[in-house]
Amino acid sequence: MDSPYAIEMLHITKRFPGIIANDDITLQLKRGEIHALLGENGAGKSTLMSVLFGLYQAEEGVIKKDGKEVQIKDPNDANALGIGMVHQHFKLVECFSVLDNIILGVEPTKHGFLQKKEAREKVMALSEKYGLHVDPDAIIEDITVGMQQRTEILKMLYRDNEILIFDEPTAVLTPQEIEELMQIMKNLAAEGKSILFISHKLAEIMAVADRCTVLRKGKYIGTVETKNTTVEQLSAMMVGRNVNFHVEKKPSTPGDVILEVENMTVASKVHKKDAVKDVSFKVRAGEIVCIAGIDGNGQTELVYGLSGLEPLKSGKILFKGQDITKASIRKRSTSGLSHIPEDRHKHGLVLDYPLEYNIILQRYFEPEFTTKAGFLKRKPIREYAERLIQEYDVRSGQGPITIARSMSGGNQQKAIIAREIDKAPDLLLAVQPTRGLDVGAIESVHKQLVAQRDAGKAVLLVSLELDEVMDVPDRILVMYEGEIVGELDPKKTTQEELGLYMAGAKRDEVKA
Amino acid sequence: MLLLIQYTLIFSSVLLLVALGGCFSEHSGVINLGLEGIMVIGALGGALMMRMLPAGTSAIVIVLLTLLAAIVFGVVYSSLLAVASINFKADQTIVGTALNMLGTAAATVFVKAINTAANPNDHSATIIYVEPKKAFVKAIGSFEFNWFMVVAVIVLILAYVILYKTKFGLRLMACGEHPQAAASVGINVFKMRWAGVLISGALGGLGGICYILAGVSQWQFEYGVAGFGFLALAVMIFGQWKPLRIALAALLFGLFRALSNVYAGFDFLSALNIPGTVYNMMPYIVSLIVLALTSGKSRAPKAEGIPYDKGMR
Amino acid sequence: MKKILKNDAVQSLIASLLCIILGLLIGYIVLLFINPEGAWDAILAVLKNFLKTANHSRRVKLLGATLVRTAPLLMCGLSVLFAYKVGLFNIGAAGQYVAGVCASLYAALAWHWGWLPCVLLAIVAAAALGAIVGVLKSFCNVNEVISGIMLNWIALYTTNMILMSQKQEASHYTLKLKESAPQAILPGAGLDKLLGYDKVTIAIPLAIIMAIIVYVVMNRTRFGYELRATGNNRNAAKYAGMAEKRNIILTLVIAGGLAGLGGAMLYLTDIEQWSVTQTSVPGMGFNGIAATFLGGLNPIGTIFSSFFIQHITDGGPNVDLSHYCAQISDLISSIIIYLCGFVLFLKTAINKGLAKSDEKQAQKEKKLAAEAKGGEK
Repeated sequence: MDSPYAIEMLHITKRFPGIIANDDITLQLKRGEIHALLGENGAGKSTLMSVLFGLYQAEEGVIKKDGKEVQIKDPNDANALGIGMVHQHFKLVECFSVLDNIILGVEPTKHGFLQKKEAREKVMALSEKYGLHVDPDAIIEDITVGMQQRTEILKMLYRDNEILIFDEPTAVLTPQEIEELMQIMKNLAAEGKSILFISHKLAEIMAVADRCTVLRKGKYIGTVETKNTTVEQLSAMMVGRNVNFHVEKKPSTPGDVILEVENMTVASKVHKKDAVKDVSFKVRAGEIVCIAGIDGNGQTELVYGLSGLEPLKSGKILFKGQDITKASIRKRSTSGLSHIPEDRHKHGLVLDYPLEYNIILQRYFEPEFTTKAGFLKRKPIREYAERLIQEYDVRSGQGPITIARSMSGGNQQKAIIAREIDKAPDLLLAVQPTRGLDVGAIESVHKQLVAQRDAGKAVLLVSLELDEVMDVPDRILVMYEGEIVGELDPKKTTQEELGLYMAGAKRDEVKA
Repeated sequence: MLLLIQYTLIFSSVLLLVALGGCFSEHSGVINLGLEGIMVIGALGGALMMRMLPAGTSAIVIVLLTLLAAIVFGVVYSSLLAVASINFKADQTIVGTALNMLGTAAATVFVKAINTAANPNDHSATIIYVEPKKAFVKAIGSFEFNWFMVVAVIVLILAYVILYKTKFGLRLMACGEHPQAAASVGINVFKMRWAGVLISGALGGLGGICYILAGVSQWQFEYGVAGFGFLALAVMIFGQWKPLRIALAALLFGLFRALSNVYAGFDFLSALNIPGTVYNMMPYIVSLIVLALTSGKSRAPKAEGIPYDKGMR
Repeated sequence: MKKILKNDAVQSLIASLLCIILGLLIGYIVLLFINPEGAWDAILAVLKNFLKTANHSRRVKLLGATLVRTAPLLMCGLSVLFAYKVGLFNIGAAGQYVAGVCASLYAALAWHWGWLPCVLLAIVAAAALGAIVGVLKSFCNVNEVISGIMLNWIALYTTNMILMSQKQEASHYTLKLKESAPQAILPGAGLDKLLGYDKVTIAIPLAIIMAIIVYVVMNRTRFGYELRATGNNRNAAKYAGMAEKRNIILTLVIAGGLAGLGGAMLYLTDIEQWSVTQTSVPGMGFNGIAATFLGGLNPIGTIFSSFFIQHITDGGPNVDLSHYCAQISDLISSIIIYLCGFVLFLKTAINKGLAKSDEKQAQKEKKLAAEAKGGEK
């Protein structure tokens, strides 16, 4: 135990076809510290952690535990070394109980039969000790995200792990749950556990971490003590320049009401309750309205209801004065509703189609692209695709005939945005349009949204990113547990106030 | 009436065995559409064993060796599905279908070869097992008791205990629901899926030999097992992948299958004057209706049919 | 060389040929086990089929016989393929084919319809069967494989029941069209004379035309665009406003129609009669699955693969029956389907290998360029 470091990753290099995900990265985790790993999406944080957890093998570099070199070939090796991880997407079996999930892989048995009683006692003791409240018999799919996360933490503690990795743990939590999590992390560190905290949220890192290692585009930038640094400095390290997060825009000039939602209720697919409850609001031409909220508070279902992907249980949608409550998806689309979907792989693209076919996905049936007899017009399709590729700077290997699957996430998103904006919609429904994009691409998407607004279109933005919520829209509607609990003016509110609404701690009677 | 009960029980036993086989495979995450072929091969193994055993072998030895042969054949054959769908990530539907066709073709070729070798004029694909069959049945009054009824009940109890009370069962189901989660806690998903498929092979093989011993004393291998493997899958879906519910579903389906064998014995049924083919169709029609009513809210293992890829997270 | 290898069609062709070679090899090994002496001759007999005969006119006639059966096989293959492009596995093609047989024979024998209305009725009957699978799939979420299998058996028993009234006195076969309903026999249009075999009809060119139509519909039309989008990404298709449920049903209706047409194409030539006591579903529909996958999931490729499958199936009875049996060809076809399951893996492996070698080359070039630059300085 002569090394002060619990884990050291020295000069790690990991290549994937086409890119170097980790290029000579060094990370040293001291015993009992909370160490943040900071970087943008695609900076290489997840890859580095996957290497540590044995999901990938690095081409170069060594990993040391307590000063001794170790080989980590799979998660078993990591477990054996006392390394545990709370993954960004929880690794929980949804139809199992909390207890079953915790013991999975290290089940106490007698003659092959499960001995759940002693397991339960140990879990209850741990839960008591660290303040991690769970019901061991609850089924995962029935409990809140926060409780699922506590299950994940208990999974690590149950295995007596000493090194705990938290991969973007706050993304799915309310500000209050985040507070709670940070306290738990501090407790754990105080008990001698070493914690790696992966995040791209500067404030959280400043609040909880002792030290911080920054990655950018797969490269190691540096390691700093948080008490000797500032948010600005970290931010500059992360993006490589001092970025102006602020979006330049003129004051809005709202016009006619384009979208009017009255008492909309949408059933949930995952639980028995309604996902959207009696929601009413309006969006006018020439304004950007943002639906803010923690992930999973009914935003997805609200969008499905608006776009026609899910039927309404009750309520009414008026679009340009027309009742479209029962209209088909196609009808809504052709009458001027564009939809940049939340999940571009699930809904936005036919991944095995070439780019040109994806670009006409919403318009392929129009006379411009299809003959009367039902044949595709290949030349106009090619020309239209080429024009959009040019105008929206969509980059791909072979232009219009590139298979969408082989394109980068950013360019896939650009293609979708090009398709939806070029349709000249009256209402643009943009759901997390910047998800997974780098800073430059985010700026350009924001500019396009503002340009749409300035051209007199209505824009409904759904976002989970606080910065985006504060900077882009003209009005904010906060959703909490399927209801709109507040309407805020981004110029007059603060992130703290917004957080209170998002957490359900504060609410107004809104009839926007 | 007794005859109806007898046939219901024996056909239910077949369906139960095979459906539980499917249940293990699907809980591990592999859809086993090849159960039909596995049944044929299992039946082939058992039938060959019965043919080979010398006359005068004691009943218990016949029963045990025949079951063992059927299990071994089923397991070996199901490894074709395992290697393709688990290690090579092949489309499970194609491979399952291929196994069904291959099962019948291979069994026919082998049995014909054996028959022709024994007697150059015999080109049939039939195996006769009048004598050894007697080892499996025991007349209790006019009721013909079959040992497979006991085997099925034992397998049912074992299946329930293994799935819900052991470490193995917990891990198996984790692999079918969320293989990435299972892998992250150090479970070898490939190994568990192999186990699931091989168990389904063993049970499918058992079901196969049980099926050909159910009514007749000889079997023509060109005919396969008449869609029983698929009926068993319908039973499994109707039973919502849970052993006890599968048992009830198997009884229901077994009843309809039994009717086609014994409808003539019921005065009121023969008075209806419905052609025999209608009774033959009954199990299939019933299963279609049942599937239509139950598939909507089915609770299939979430990751079934999706090849597990280590790189995917 | 690399460029050729990257072509998807070339990869499919290589994969199919590999499947055939491996399938034959495994078949050969099985034969060796049964009887090592005649194994090679048996494989050759299977492969040669009509080529085995020395007599020229007889050879052409046997080619004709294979072609007569290739036409319905191609239709079943197209049926499976059409559905597969939409992400559906139409194992029900076997039953739809039977429905086609039933409708065409009954109309011909009982109602004395002409061949064209018989064919149309076959298509309608089979399409209706396909529609049931489609409706169950889109409205009740019933797995199309299981419902397809159930309907195969239902179709078989129903057909036996219906055709019972049209059977010959002395046997369990249906009446011969030539004697009872000559008006329903498909016209030969000169092809029969060309091949010297009266069972050769317009069914053969018609099947090829259907393959081309399927190709054009899939790749060149709005309908095909929608169907393939649905097959590749059901959610995206829904998002783009395509009527998913309607498309699923329509697909299975068309797939059913194709298989039903196949049934009429065979039985309206009078080459064989239906046995009303048969207790297994004819293999034509299942062989269609083999043809589809062996054909690289391409309608044009399926033309050739169905000929190959039928060719070896007809070659089966040519083996020395004192040692082997005709089903050896079924064995080989089913091994080939099994191997087709590995095609995706093979293609990924090829592409991975190509990508790696590309990268190596790129790195080499980079290095060379860097050295050249260094030299300049």
